[in-house]
Amino acid sequence: MRNLYVIGPTGSGKTWFCAALALELKELGWRVAYFKPVGTAAEDKADEDALLFRELLEMDSPPERIAPLSSSPIYLWRYDAAGSHLDRVREAYAEVTRGAEVVIIGGAPSPYHLASLGLDAAGVIRLFRPLVFTVHRVMNDLSLDLALFYQDYLKSLQAEAAGLVLNQVPRPLVDKARGLFCPVLEGRGHRVLGVVPERTEAALPGARDLVELLRAEVLAGEQGLANPVEEVVIGAMTLDSAMRYFRRAPNKALITGGDRTDLALAALETSTSVIVLTGGLYPEARLLSRAEEKGVPVLLTDYDTYVVADLLRFAGRKLRPEDRQGLEEARRDFREHCRHRQIIELIAGWQPEAGGRE
Amino acid sequence: MVGASNNPAKLGHAVVRNLVEGGYPGEVYPVNPKAGEILGRRACPSVEEVPGEVDLAVVVIPAAGVLEVARRCGEKGVRFLVVISAGFREIGGEGARREKELVDICRRYGMGLVGPNCLGVIDTYTPLNATFAPRMPRRGRIAFFSQSGALGTAILDWSLTVDLGFSRFVSLGNKAGLDEVDLMQESLADPRTQIVLCYLENVQDGGRFLSVSAEVTRRKPVLVIKSGVSEAGARAASSHTGALAGSDVAYDTAFAQAGLFRVRTLEQLFDFALAFSSQPLPRGNRLAVVTNAGGPGILASDAAEAEGLALARLRRQTITELGQGLPREASLYNPVDVLGDASPERYTWALDRVAADPKVDMVLILLAPQAGSRPEETAQLIVEWRRQHQDKPLAAVFMGGASVEGAVERLKKADIPCYFSPERAVASLAALARYAARCRRAMRAPSPCPPLSGREKARMAAVLDRVRADRRVVLLASEALAVLESGGIPCAPSRLAAGPEDAVRAAEELGFPVVLKVASPHITHKTDVGGVRVGLESPDEVRRAYLEIMENVHRYLPRAEVYGVEVQRLMPPGTELVVGFSRDLQFGPLLMFGLGGVYVNLLRDVSFRLTRGFGPAEAEEMIRETKAYTLLRGYRGEPPRDVAAVVETLCRVARLAEEFPEVVEMDINPLVAYERGLAALDAKMTIGDGGAGA
Repeated sequence: MRNLYVIGPTGSGKTWFCAALALELKELGWRVAYFKPVGTAAEDKADEDALLFRELLEMDSPPERIAPLSSSPIYLWRYDAAGSHLDRVREAYAEVTRGAEVVIIGGAPSPYHLASLGLDAAGVIRLFRPLVFTVHRVMNDLSLDLALFYQDYLKSLQAEAAGLVLNQVPRPLVDKARGLFCPVLEGRGHRVLGVVPERTEAALPGARDLVELLRAEVLAGEQGLANPVEEVVIGAMTLDSAMRYFRRAPNKALITGGDRTDLALAALETSTSVIVLTGGLYPEARLLSRAEEKGVPVLLTDYDTYVVADLLRFAGRKLRPEDRQGLEEARRDFREHCRHRQIIELIAGWQPEAGGRE
Repeated sequence: MVGASNNPAKLGHAVVRNLVEGGYPGEVYPVNPKAGEILGRRACPSVEEVPGEVDLAVVVIPAAGVLEVARRCGEKGVRFLVVISAGFREIGGEGARREKELVDICRRYGMGLVGPNCLGVIDTYTPLNATFAPRMPRRGRIAFFSQSGALGTAILDWSLTVDLGFSRFVSLGNKAGLDEVDLMQESLADPRTQIVLCYLENVQDGGRFLSVSAEVTRRKPVLVIKSGVSEAGARAASSHTGALAGSDVAYDTAFAQAGLFRVRTLEQLFDFALAFSSQPLPRGNRLAVVTNAGGPGILASDAAEAEGLALARLRRQTITELGQGLPREASLYNPVDVLGDASPERYTWALDRVAADPKVDMVLILLAPQAGSRPEETAQLIVEWRRQHQDKPLAAVFMGGASVEGAVERLKKADIPCYFSPERAVASLAALARYAARCRRAMRAPSPCPPLSGREKARMAAVLDRVRADRRVVLLASEALAVLESGGIPCAPSRLAAGPEDAVRAAEELGFPVVLKVASPHITHKTDVGGVRVGLESPDEVRRAYLEIMENVHRYLPRAEVYGVEVQRLMPPGTELVVGFSRDLQFGPLLMFGLGGVYVNLLRDVSFRLTRGFGPAEAEEMIRETKAYTLLRGYRGEPPRDVAAVVETLCRVARLAEEFPEVVEMDINPLVAYERGLAALDAKMTIGDGGAGA
């Protein structure tokens, strides 16, 4: 059995890479399973990746077995540091991956999570001796250093590093990433398996994600909940200057108070994906009429604008099994911007060392 | 009358009462499944059971039942439907869906629809009062269409106290079917309507509104009261370069261009209506004033200047004649002062002389009651004189209260508008003059801008395509300049550089000295983030400036996407102008011209035009409206600038706006005008989805 392990910093696009890889391998006729030793389930909610891949790969195991442990800021209250968590992970793995030829192991939000239980990236690598893929989000020159840092870390662990993908590269930096970053990385012996230009809508929560994230009520425009969000605009400006910002932000989410019907109406006349009204203030009826006509969802949340903005900082678009378009685009990015053939060949030609895995 | 009621507290009762008591000569059928008889008329249980053909159905039932009634009316072949009921678009999503269905039903059966959520319709000549307004207005020459029912009734009620009459009144409500444009158009054919008055909160189809109202105002004046509050979205849409265009400027510009009169207060509405409904149009804007006191005469002169009227310079013959007939102390020059002791005969004699002067286009008579004044007799003589002399507009101000009451009454009866103060009289005459000028202008053959060539357009489109391919909506300055350059607007030579060495190469190509400006769609104010370096003379300076700019920008705006730096040849100084446009949701591209540079938002020396019907003549007018024009002509020893080149640039920008609907806003600032030619130094451009507004 081949274990593939995908790691990277928070928000770098690990789920995207796993999903594209899973669909690609499945299409090639491989029996693929997904396993995530350290997920992010809450008491009342299963790990979202577990749910996604369970559906995508038609797996029988319940989500809490696909992602047996969960990382959280208070995980030590949940897991006894002296407990036998490694065993739990091993058992779940054995059950979940039964009959699979390839197992994609999803990394925790960050590689150091649950290190105290021995389940950080180093622990997982020791446990499963996987072929490791790294995904990075490029922001500036320092992103190159972070990528080198990860690869050096893998080397020090004597891990089998397949290579890395530079993801969500801002369009002005694409040339620089190809012309400057790649030679440096390759010069140090690291394979660059892809340079993927930014698609902001892939990084921001969509309208439907916002409903959940903000515990919002949908007041109008239900039919537009699948709208992707490419920009977030906080509507706190005067009406006169608003239009300039609105026009510059296509497919935007507008976050503003329920008492700013004026701003919301103005936004509706430009490209807007969703309007989030904050502070629990119910808007004027004509906003809802117009939103209904335009098919733009209007969400009402009790959080104030500041809290909403803060929540959005850490939220990303969730790939959902029913999000055909999102999955489609994930695969397109993989095929167009990653060396997908080389990746498949790497996986096919890789001989896992015997006994390294359970 | 569907929803008729016996209960006097209900609207369904008030409407039947108004129909019956308003003297409607046709048959009125109350429809109510329960009531047997309403105001002496037997109620029909349903629309189907109304005998014969139905011209008009008025619906006052709860919203939930309206669609069913509309369907039945359609089946019955009813021609027009007035839906007074509320509970539609104005209540939100569910109401909006209901309204859409109502419109569909009316369309299917070919029924004209007024409302919903309105007050009804009135025709004072039929007479038909299908409203629940408490009283019927007087007959008159004004057709009044109001988007606010409450304001409509308030105006109608007030009109009874000031002697203002109406030909018809329509409460537009949600304007789901017929709107002000349909009604304006229809008023053209109505001989009883001389003036159209609209109270508007928004305009739905700006293009249609403009073309129809431009047509209507050639023949009948249209007064508009427009409140901005309720169409916040549309208002904001015309904002321009940091709100240069203010929130209402698109409406102001559109109204002015279509020849509509924007009225700010009810007082003004009354004043203008009075002048428009009784006076002929003046040939020019020269005003003569005949007064019996100096003070009011000066007030009138000041007002004339403020309103853009000229005080007529009387011809020599008139002055000589006045000198022969008036006392020695009298002032013979305009304003002509006939003195405090003027008799009615002296007044009319002077009036006769002044009005006969071919250099006078309109006359204002002022009277302040003094010891020897006989206001009522003066009024009587003026009325008699007026019967013989009707070619020029005439207005009167009899100042004071009790002592002039009778005189004012006489003047009013004879259709001589009489105002309380010189300012209001002058403003009303000025409105007549403006309208007359507008009618003359409408006769003038339009001079459209020359079209862009196919090659120019293709090159401009190519730049825009590249921006879209990069998934952006905001152009870099270098791209915006490339679009302009392709469209035949001279630009300062410049190019985008993606690294310090590239910048040096660019500078060497373009020639030193150069300017470096950060290139990022996220940065609007480049100077504020340390993103501009000017006057760089050598490769070394360019290299250093590049890194400085990059570091500054990353420090101040760490999340901005930076595409590099734009290298531009340093241009010589000239007059800095701003030219741009913003696409208004209702009226399309709104062109702006003014004094440019960094103080543009402070000085706000700008003028606006819609690009619809725009040509070189309009461009010139636009330039002349600004102080920048004084600078362009050469101020304090500066050489005059190439105004013809500015006109051409305005025309080209207008064409760009018309032919590239995907460009939603654009500013060239500064556009530097020289003695010969000009150059665009910096430009901002945003593209949208190509729709009308976005």
